[in-house]
Amino acid sequence: MYKLLAQQIVKATDESGSLDLDKFSKLVIAAYEEFDRDRRRTDRSMSLMIEELDAVQRNLEQTVIERTKELRSRESELQAQNMRIDAALSNMSQGLAMYDADARLVICNQRFISMYRYAPAEIRPGMPLRELIRLRVKNGTFCGNPDDYADDLYAKIKIGQATGQFAELEDGRTISIARQPMPGGGWVATHEDVTERRQAEMRIAHMARHDALTDLPNRVLLRERLGEALAHVERGQRLAVLYLDLDLFKNVNDSLGHPTGDELLRIVADRLRGCVGETDTISRVGGDEFFIIQTDVGGASDAERLARRVAEAIRAPYDLHGHSIVIDASIGIALAPTDGSDANELLKNADMALYGAKADGRGVYRFFEPNMDARMKERRALEVALRRAFENGEFELYYQPVLNLDRDEVRCCEALLRWHHPERGMVSPVEFIPVAEEIGLIVALGEWVIRWACEDAAKWPDDICVAVNLSPTQLTSKGLLPAVLGALASSRLPPHRLELEITEAVLMQNSEVTLRTLHQLRELGIRISMDDFGTGYSSLSYLRSFPFDKIKIDRCFIKGLGDSSEADAIVHAVAGLAESLGMTTTAEGVETRRQLDLVRDLGCTDVQGFFYSPPVPVRELTKILAEKAGRKTAAA
Amino acid sequence: MRVRQIVWNKRSGWTAASGESDAAQLVLYFGGRDALACGARYEELRNMFPAAHIMGCSTGGQINNDDVSDDEIVAAVASFDATRLQLSRQEITDPRRSRDYGEAIGRALNANDLAGVFVLSDGLNVNGSELVAGISKIIGSDVPLTGGLAGDGANFKETLVGADCAPRARMIAGIGFYGSAIRVGHGSAGGWDLFGPRRHVTKSNGNVLFELDGEPALDLYERYLGPEESKGLPGSALLFPIQVYDLQRPDSAVVRTVLAVDRETRSMTFAGDIPQGWSAQLMRGNLDRLAAGAADAARQARGGLGADDSGQRFSILVSCIGRRLLMGQRAIDEVEAVGGELGRDSLRLGFYSYGEISPHEKSGQCELHNQTMTVTTLAEVA
Repeated sequence: MYKLLAQQIVKATDESGSLDLDKFSKLVIAAYEEFDRDRRRTDRSMSLMIEELDAVQRNLEQTVIERTKELRSRESELQAQNMRIDAALSNMSQGLAMYDADARLVICNQRFISMYRYAPAEIRPGMPLRELIRLRVKNGTFCGNPDDYADDLYAKIKIGQATGQFAELEDGRTISIARQPMPGGGWVATHEDVTERRQAEMRIAHMARHDALTDLPNRVLLRERLGEALAHVERGQRLAVLYLDLDLFKNVNDSLGHPTGDELLRIVADRLRGCVGETDTISRVGGDEFFIIQTDVGGASDAERLARRVAEAIRAPYDLHGHSIVIDASIGIALAPTDGSDANELLKNADMALYGAKADGRGVYRFFEPNMDARMKERRALEVALRRAFENGEFELYYQPVLNLDRDEVRCCEALLRWHHPERGMVSPVEFIPVAEEIGLIVALGEWVIRWACEDAAKWPDDICVAVNLSPTQLTSKGLLPAVLGALASSRLPPHRLELEITEAVLMQNSEVTLRTLHQLRELGIRISMDDFGTGYSSLSYLRSFPFDKIKIDRCFIKGLGDSSEADAIVHAVAGLAESLGMTTTAEGVETRRQLDLVRDLGCTDVQGFFYSPPVPVRELTKILAEKAGRKTAAA
Repeated sequence: MRVRQIVWNKRSGWTAASGESDAAQLVLYFGGRDALACGARYEELRNMFPAAHIMGCSTGGQINNDDVSDDEIVAAVASFDATRLQLSRQEITDPRRSRDYGEAIGRALNANDLAGVFVLSDGLNVNGSELVAGISKIIGSDVPLTGGLAGDGANFKETLVGADCAPRARMIAGIGFYGSAIRVGHGSAGGWDLFGPRRHVTKSNGNVLFELDGEPALDLYERYLGPEESKGLPGSALLFPIQVYDLQRPDSAVVRTVLAVDRETRSMTFAGDIPQGWSAQLMRGNLDRLAAGAADAARQARGGLGADDSGQRFSILVSCIGRRLLMGQRAIDEVEAVGGELGRDSLRLGFYSYGEISPHEKSGQCELHNQTMTVTTLAEVA
């Protein structure tokens, strides 16, 4: 019997054993109802569960669709991103290569391949670095041991060290390589061709230490080299420092322009290069100033020999764009350790020696001497005094008459500058004219001379002219012509009564410009004479180059007259030559009657010198001229 | 140990008690609230067994061996040869202090030779999980702790517990078994089937569940119960127990049963906590599998007893009211299944409860269970 039914019967059976049908049927009905309820509940919960699970499934499906869409869009985004990265990689100016933890190539760009001249087909992901390097050995962009290179690199990368290096390729290129370790091993390397940059850097470094015009070491490198050389001096060697500058270089720039001046400096530099030894250093420190560090010096005589060699080399004529130029150099020399053992002291002393050389008349070399300091101070004092003298009117013009031998009368007076120094008294032009040139006072001083010479001459008799010396600087100055015109105009002196004297040296420098100026002056009616003839190159070509009105024969020839037949012959020849060229000749420095007679016999037309009259102040000259005029009148 | 049963019904009163009744040390009794409320039954028992600790509670039906009844009171009368007993009780003044009451009982009963504790508690005014945690904290997890929460049929109005006193509401009682002779076997199993989708506890507070997957929990239950059975809430909610667990710790799964519903807030109050963020899944009962579950609990209890007991055995069955509501008259299937495991000749008494207390089968940690059959088997060794 079914267990429940048995139970129901037990429950519906009373103590007497009879079945209570009513109770029994209630139990049975209740059981059916329980079953019904349970079935309904089960049905309901099953269908609800199915609904719910269905909804869950729909949700899941929807989620799958959305996620799939999302993934697709992410995938295409990734693809686009990859393309962008590809494009970025391909267009990088740097080569890029990425390696994994096993030093195998993960990715590289086109630039990397071309930079190392790989064939694109031979590069593939997964290649060991070693293999890549071996390929470079084959294509000639790597020399060295690929294994050593790779081992060294792994060691650094392994400890997470970023590395950088400059690789010098066999073909001369320089590649900068930077390697950055990546998290999880491996590294990324960027390769940049820095050949041009490196060259530029080297150029800049060179420029910082060299003079752009001559490519000689500049002051910076000079100091370095001097420091190095002085280290050897400490160990017992000797060296010399030669400091030189070109005499009157400024005139070249002023008259021919800076490009020509620069060209001259370049040639000077080349000539200097030819003079020095391999271990010597030449440096241009500005303008026309050069230093030479002479090493391996046994004694002063070695430095002296070099100075001579340099002076000679510089003195040789220059042909600059058709201009023939001659220039001298003054040289100061300081020796180490004698004159100092530190750079500053040596350079200063060489400077002082140069100053001394210039004070001694240029074109010479001087060794440093301890008393130069005092002389330099003296010279500075002279410079200051000279400037002040011009402002204070301490200058005066003296005149020396020039006697015409034919007519035995004064035809001309040469103006000569005198300086009455308040303390030192009369200072010689030989002493102060070079200083005036050095400090740029010469032009102003020259103009002053011309103006006053004209003013004075205007008061003299009409047949007496005035002669004024022109310095080379004056002649190249653009202010000369206006100054002369101004002086003539204000003094009302006729041009033919003004005579300008130039020396051979004037023609030797910048002769073309000089000649043009001389022609312009001569066209105005001014007379031009050649002064101190015979002291320079005495080249006849100078006489041919310009139609001088007069040649003044230097006093050194006159002095020797009567004692040497050579002097006689020269004077005679010059006089003859002058006559044939239509020039007059003045014999300078005639001090005796005998000299006067001789020069007359040798054909000179005029004489100048103490025999007739020393240079005198204008007041005395006026008296002399008056006396002569009186005599002449009396004779008439 | 000697044990026998006595039964009370309205018509006949107590079945005769014989012989050594006055020497009995323990009387456990279970009956409907109506039958117990007047206190007369306790007085009768006290007269019959003056030396015994008398402990009992109201139920959702009594288990008397293979029978399930509503109108009887069943009682077990036990004498022990070498086992000492001690009883402790606590009155509940504030259910939020459930853990404190548990700790107080634990302290009262704790001793070196404590071998087991059986607890009966008010079934409505207590947080059973907290109560169990409080006792366990004091006596430790090595001492078996079993028992149940008193029931009130499907009414959920008032539950009663008596402990050497007339049964009354808001009472917790525990009896401790001491000495080396006593053996306590225990088992607990449900046999419910998970069904429907896995849900998410999106809003809860302690043991009050507000929302599952963003939907009011009560809506879900009403939908599953249908309009007719929804009228029987909260009792009818027992037809669909709920298993909750932390997704990260699947072994944390516990079955929860409903104590009350709030139609205003659409919330449901359970006999234990429903942590927010945990997963939840509805369960349903299949009669055969529920009975199989009960048999499993009995096997566990028998297995834990050991083989060296020589005297009588006595088993206390505490099964969930939810099982009874679902099984109806077929509830006898599960008590028979237990009898099948434990032996028809061994005494089996018990009740349908609002919560079962027993160590977890796997973890050994004592917990409050819902919707389970729990079996506590007592025996003494010589």
